[in-house]
Amino acid sequence: MSEMIKETKLQKALAAVGRGAVYIVMSLFALMTLYPIFWLIMNSFKTTREFQVSQLAFPRAPTLQNYVEAWKMGDFGLLFPNSVLYTLGATAGIIFLSLMAGFAFAKLKSRATKLIYNSFVIGILLTTQTLMIPLFLEVNLLGLYNTRLAVLLVYIGAGLPIGIYLATEYIKAIPSAVVESARIDGAGFFTIFLKIIVPMSVPVATTLAMLNITGLWNEFALINILVSKTELKSLPLGIYKFSGSLSTDYGKQFAALTIGMVPMLVFYMIFRKQITKGVAAGAIKG
Amino acid sequence: MVHLNRVHLEEKRAYWAMVMPAFALYLLVMAFPIILSIMLSVSNYSGGKMFGGEKWGFAGFSAYARVFTDPWFWNALKNNLYIVLISVFGQLPLGFIFAYFIYSKIVRAPSFWQGVLYVPNIISVIVVGLLWQVIFSPHGPIAEIVNSIHASSFQGQLKAIFDGAGGFSLSDDVIKKILHLAGPSGQAMFSDPVPELRDLLASYNGQPISEIYTALSNLFVQKWSPAFLTKTDIAMLPVLFVILWMYTGMYLILFLANMQKIDAQIIESARIDGANEGQVMRYIILPALSGTIVNSAILAISGSLSSFALIFAMTGGGPSRVTEILSIYMYNNAFLGRPNFPLANAISLIMVLISVVLIVLTKAVEKRYGGKEE
Repeated sequence: MSEMIKETKLQKALAAVGRGAVYIVMSLFALMTLYPIFWLIMNSFKTTREFQVSQLAFPRAPTLQNYVEAWKMGDFGLLFPNSVLYTLGATAGIIFLSLMAGFAFAKLKSRATKLIYNSFVIGILLTTQTLMIPLFLEVNLLGLYNTRLAVLLVYIGAGLPIGIYLATEYIKAIPSAVVESARIDGAGFFTIFLKIIVPMSVPVATTLAMLNITGLWNEFALINILVSKTELKSLPLGIYKFSGSLSTDYGKQFAALTIGMVPMLVFYMIFRKQITKGVAAGAIKG
Repeated sequence: MVHLNRVHLEEKRAYWAMVMPAFALYLLVMAFPIILSIMLSVSNYSGGKMFGGEKWGFAGFSAYARVFTDPWFWNALKNNLYIVLISVFGQLPLGFIFAYFIYSKIVRAPSFWQGVLYVPNIISVIVVGLLWQVIFSPHGPIAEIVNSIHASSFQGQLKAIFDGAGGFSLSDDVIKKILHLAGPSGQAMFSDPVPELRDLLASYNGQPISEIYTALSNLFVQKWSPAFLTKTDIAMLPVLFVILWMYTGMYLILFLANMQKIDAQIIESARIDGANEGQVMRYIILPALSGTIVNSAILAISGSLSSFALIFAMTGGGPSRVTEILSIYMYNNAFLGRPNFPLANAISLIMVLISVVLIVLTKAVEKRYGGKEE
């Protein structure tokens, strides 16, 4: 009896040590995650000269000058609204088209569904980035190079596969009786879609919004080949500008990077739960 | 019957009206570029107006031959493979372990860990790439930390010398000890070391001794200038590190979400039956997550094919092209120097083919593990 108690005591001690080790490992990883971000923000308030002298200390005389100059130099006043337009416009388009097609796939009968729906599902792995060169040539061919329309169309098209997959699976789970009884009452399919399906699809629409807002706000590869005019660019393109000739002007570069990072960090802090849920849902089928 | 037909027609019309906008757009950004890249990869198109400009036509499969004989193609493919490997053997296991720590309540505050470790995923890859470029550069904090450690050890030794002499002193013995500490590179700064260093020290007389320490360590301690991103044989390592840093949190979220789907009662009753931690892991958790694990691996491969911006921003494929991945290799062939569109399109198509293989693989995996996941 006493031996057994001893053993549990030993086990408890071991478990406590193990738990401590786990905390240490995870804390180190968390520190490694957050410190570079903290370091970046901290140094964005230093002059380039002070940064060169000391990178680890707190700024002695915090300055906003870097932000003022980076904002002007990166034309962020122009790029910020563009980013908002591209992100929200394309996200709205993806959600609307996905729900509409998803409703058709899930609740309307057609022999074409199998082929078309599967071609969308294939697109989940067939990433658009792989096609950026032919896409660039196509956009030129259509005369859409350097237009906001091209950015929106490409973003919506690229976001449809996962959007349609999630929307279809979600709407399939809505009881068909809901649609049928509305049909008996004489409602048309579009009325059913707008009045019944859309309000019931808010959860999946939220998931899609989270996935696409975070993805599109940061998108670089595609917009990089779609526009070259400053007044059409998005924030990531503007930030990239700070890597070339300006790369030794650290103060401005850090301010630019922080400007690019903070809106998403704030968004993440507000919608963390929904974003996490979206990631888990969006990646399950890979 | 007539009525039924009318209803059927209405449904058909509604179906196509709802599906077509999405499908047309999808064809425009997916199908059409694929057709275009098939055409151009076997052509001699060299830019300019595609129709009505310079004439171009069929030119055989020379672009493919060139791709497969180009050592830079294999270099890029190898780097894509490295990214897949760091995902499969780095991100996945780490993400899995962290997820398990959280799931089994070994650590408290689950949403804190999830929330923090996922943060890099929501930052623009351009920001991440440029940030780590600075961190790994000779002007970055890694260099500063290493150099400040060097400097403080040097200053410690200086202090020992002065303490040995009973405080600030300009005796030959002290001067020689300092020169010895400075090493050959330090001595080489003077033509006649002993008197010159004595003059220098004398000029500091009366100032706080810490100033002398700082001045001497600035003078003598060689600054270490890390070459993480400039040495061709190691430049891929920092890139892989950043990829690990960035995406581990995503797999953590994925695995945790699927662990939480496991019926807690099964684990409970296994524990009551005397199963230990390892047995629960081996016989319950791992089998339940097998589908997720395989899918994550496929996701990693598809992610490596679509990755572009991180390396584009962090190294630009350099130094001397050693960190190029397929997408950058393709991009540079189309946009750097004289554009080679047949070649770039051939690369694009090869990447599409790799994706297609993946899709077939996923389907096979789904058949094999499909039922267990939900």
